Amino acid sequence: MSKGRDMGLIVKTTARATIPLIGIFGAYVVSHGHLTPGGGFQGGATIAGAGILFLIAFGLGEMKRRYNHHLYSALEGLGGLIFLGAAMLGLGVAFFYNTLWHSGPVFNGQPGTLLSAGYLPIMNLAVGLKVFAGLVSAMVAIAAFRRWNK
Amino acid sequence: MKRTFGALALLFLLGVLLVVASPSTGIKFGLGGEDWKAYRYTDQYYIDHGVQEVGGTNIVTDIVFDYRGYDTLGEATVLFTAIAGAVALLRPWGRDENE
Repeated sequence: MSKGRDMGLIVKTTARATIPLIGIFGAYVVSHGHLTPGGGFQGGATIAGAGILFLIAFGLGEMKRRYNHHLYSALEGLGGLIFLGAAMLGLGVAFFYNTLWHSGPVFNGQPGTLLSAGYLPIMNLAVGLKVFAGLVSAMVAIAAFRRWNK
Repeated sequence: MKRTFGALALLFLLGVLLVVASPSTGIKFGLGGEDWKAYRYTDQYYIDHGVQEVGGTNIVTDIVFDYRGYDTLGEATVLFTAIAGAVALLRPWGRDENE
């Protein structure tokens, strides 16, 4: 039933050209979340925008072939667990204590460099993964809900 | 008449809120004197101490992930619950035959 639901050739070619750029920009926003404006939520939403553009341009049938429901559920749970685990790293002092920055072995460079700021990059990556997987899952679920067509 | 009275009451409430919420004339909780401002309006503290206490040069990320970490945790929980609910409500897999 979802055959022939993709858009035209122009839209598909443009999406094929822009989806990698959107993904790269989103990955930049996530990975530099502690240095430049943006962060996990914003970058994750940007990468999810690339996924949603794929869904809209190529149709639900193509998306269902590439999309693994169990993988995305596992990725979202993994993002949340990494977030909680990074928050529990400094549990000796307090929950959400940035112990990697004060006395940690890694991520303790100069402020302004990429490998600095303790658990902030880890949390940004985790939240970006979680938001990306969640938004793509929600969008695929909404797109697959087509029972009014019957 | 009723509408005019309602609009005037709304305007009066807005004025009261503006006076109450103002830092100079508003009501003060907790400490007396001028100390309460340092504890209630903490933005200058974050700008001054955020880089050395948390490490990120993006102060918003410092606040979101360290100073207000519980808020971010709740937000992530809300997002997780909302998406789980949406997927559980809307997914056709396993219920309908695959269309």
